[in-house]
Amino acid sequence: MRKGKRLLAVSLVAALGLTAAACGDEEDPATTGGDTGTTEGGTATTGATDTTGATDTTGATDTTGATDTTGATDTTGATDTTGVTDTTGVTDTSDSTASTGEITEGLKVAVLFDVTGRGDKSFNDAAAAGLDMAVEDFGVDPTESTPSGEGDRAARLDSAVSGGNELVIGVGFLWTDAVTAGSAASPDTNFAIVDSVVEAENVASLVFAEEQGSFLVGAAAALTSQTGKIGFVGGVPIDLIKKFEAGYIAGAQQINPDIEVISQYISEDPAIGFNDPTRGGELATAMYEDDADVVYHAAGASGAGVFEAAAAAGEPGEVWAIGVDSDQYQSVDANLQPYILTSMLKRVDVAVYETAKDTASGNFTPGIRVFDLSVDGVGYSTSGGFVDDIAPELDDLKQQIIDGEIEVPTVPES
Amino acid sequence: MSATATVPVQDAREERRGLRLPGPIALWVVAAASVAISLAREISNNDDLTSANTFGVAIRTAAPIALAGLGGLYAERSGTINIGLEGMMIMGTVFAGWWAWEYNPWMGVLGGVIGGALGGLVHAFATVTFGVNHIVSGFAINILAPGVARFMANLLFEGESGGSVTNSPGASGEIGVFTMPVLSGGPLLGWKDTPDPLGSLADRQWFLVSDIASLLKALTTELRLDLVLVIVLFVASVYVLWRTRFGLRLRSAGERPSAADSLGVSVVFYRYVGMLISGGLAGMAGSVLVIGANRYSQGQTGGRGFLGLATLVVGNWRPAGVAAGAGLFGFFDGITQRIDPGQLILAAILAAAILLAFGIVYSVMQLRPGPALLMAIGGAVLLWVYLTIDEIRSEFVFMAPFVVTLIVVASRGQASRPPAQAGIPWRKGSQN
Repeated sequence: MRKGKRLLAVSLVAALGLTAAACGDEEDPATTGGDTGTTEGGTATTGATDTTGATDTTGATDTTGATDTTGATDTTGATDTTGVTDTTGVTDTSDSTASTGEITEGLKVAVLFDVTGRGDKSFNDAAAAGLDMAVEDFGVDPTESTPSGEGDRAARLDSAVSGGNELVIGVGFLWTDAVTAGSAASPDTNFAIVDSVVEAENVASLVFAEEQGSFLVGAAAALTSQTGKIGFVGGVPIDLIKKFEAGYIAGAQQINPDIEVISQYISEDPAIGFNDPTRGGELATAMYEDDADVVYHAAGASGAGVFEAAAAAGEPGEVWAIGVDSDQYQSVDANLQPYILTSMLKRVDVAVYETAKDTASGNFTPGIRVFDLSVDGVGYSTSGGFVDDIAPELDDLKQQIIDGEIEVPTVPES
Repeated sequence: MSATATVPVQDAREERRGLRLPGPIALWVVAAASVAISLAREISNNDDLTSANTFGVAIRTAAPIALAGLGGLYAERSGTINIGLEGMMIMGTVFAGWWAWEYNPWMGVLGGVIGGALGGLVHAFATVTFGVNHIVSGFAINILAPGVARFMANLLFEGESGGSVTNSPGASGEIGVFTMPVLSGGPLLGWKDTPDPLGSLADRQWFLVSDIASLLKALTTELRLDLVLVIVLFVASVYVLWRTRFGLRLRSAGERPSAADSLGVSVVFYRYVGMLISGGLAGMAGSVLVIGANRYSQGQTGGRGFLGLATLVVGNWRPAGVAAGAGLFGFFDGITQRIDPGQLILAAILAAAILLAFGIVYSVMQLRPGPALLMAIGGAVLLWVYLTIDEIRSEFVFMAPFVVTLIVVASRGQASRPPAQAGIPWRKGSQN
């Protein structure tokens, strides 16, 4: 009887701990990264301990064990990486003869993905495409690694360094702390980080002018909208994603100053925000129900739900969705393609490729490198041909941004 | 909300003083909550609080959690604690994504049930046959499942058009929706546009009437058929567990296994069956997510299995309670997914304050000053929040559903009564 109660208590604490962990993350996305460097327990632990108090903590920590498991992906993640390496390895040997003079073949490059890893059809896949291109063009020897949560980032970075990689690329701002610590510990290895700035002698910070690309798709949305109301679904309300929102709103207002833009975010927790198509779909559904007819998402894998919501909300040509990071028209199911107006391209592939190429030719340059409209680091896609008729206007806006005639804000007005 | 209102419920059960209300107290709580939320809608002038669309999101959000909770209920009623609901749900999502794409969405639901039941079988094997600690085994399944899912996704979806290691291609076909004819304007035997009295009532914004019409409208309009099945399963579970021989035996395995054994009921058999049903329902909860998103994607359960476990505690190990707990969470999580969640949460806070006012009146009539005082303090705080805050910060919007769940679990946890022998390994011949 008593034992039963104790077990029940543990189960209750576990449930509470999870709830606490789920809402414990909202303090600041920076703290999420903060735990990364220490490799101790990951964020969830902090969240859980906070709420459950001293004695219960054992139970609560257990829960985190379970939460972290989202990442039992570990093992399999590793397995599939090798799979990928194998295949690409084959292609590159055949191609290697065709490479150019001064670039050294066989540069060992490690790409550390963000949580979802390869297959998100968005951000991570763009990085993967850049790596694949580097493998093909100048025979890079690639290593891939996908973290299972916050707890194992530093360890994965360390193993990439000790694996003898000459260039280690962290894909995503959540790698900031791991790269900061790792670059200090291994001054002889070159590092790069996407979407974040790490100031060190051996780190190249690859950042994008997302607001500029978002400005163009915002203009496209306003030019396409019949209702004068458009929507934005963001993954997590952090500065990075707010750049997308700010540019989108500014671009839409450039075309139609009276346009109404509904902005919503999926979660405070990056592990959920970029990974919950159900919620992404519900947010978009609410917007379509509220008469918005174009919805732009900056929510990684959650965006799949936005596209489904568009298809459920109306006929092709009546309602639209706008993709992000990659040309998402190319990766969605055929029945969803008529709903993808355009995608905001963020050329993470170019950034990864260029950095690998520079390193292979001995020209690795540390410091901040901004990929903006002027170098085609951001842009919009034209697949499907839905923006062909407004392309001249968009290209005109693009030129004005490049020339500095239009200044695109990076923070949305509240 | 009804969290604090449940305090008088348990009081009434212990010793009855003062005025007694006729009929079950739960109905009074529901009635009071309806009036409170309707009043809040009128006062805050926020019609979206009880719109059919809001209830629609609430139902879609609540359904997987409720189903996971029902899965937990079968497990614990048969004597096994199932912390592994989340893992079984993940197994359900990958199987559902596979079969929904390979065959059709209904096969996807079946696949989800099978995937989850496999997890349940593992758990039953460990806990019933080998007497492994239920918590440990459950966690093991939670750790194992995401890895298995990723492995399967890699084998099945990688390289397919629209698929990858993190998500399946879209489902083949639609599962279909149900709209009630005559009441909500659904088609009836070729008669296309039947009347829609609920819809027109819901639009009228009449006090209480329109709010209830909205809820009924949401329940009877374009409801996905898998969600209809969820509702059917709840009703069927009440009958099966409390009105049939099978249900009595299953529950006896959780309450007093030695007594059941002495009467010739195989405790091992019923605990296995309970776990299989539990896993199957958790897996089906995963498939509901898959059908909703039209595909499997990695990590899409997002802790909903654990929330299901929480609804089990809120719902006092009863199907109606589980449904109510999930509904409450679904409603609060649903309004965070509407256009103006900050304002909706404020309106909900007002509704909670009004509900507490009803609770105070009730406690005073019961001559119980203690709870009345507590509720007065809580109500005053909520009212102060409502009157002084213009805009709720987005951080709080995201945590609101979890805060509500925590409060309800905390207040309900006191009064709840789990099955006596849930979580205790049983061997033939033992005396518990």
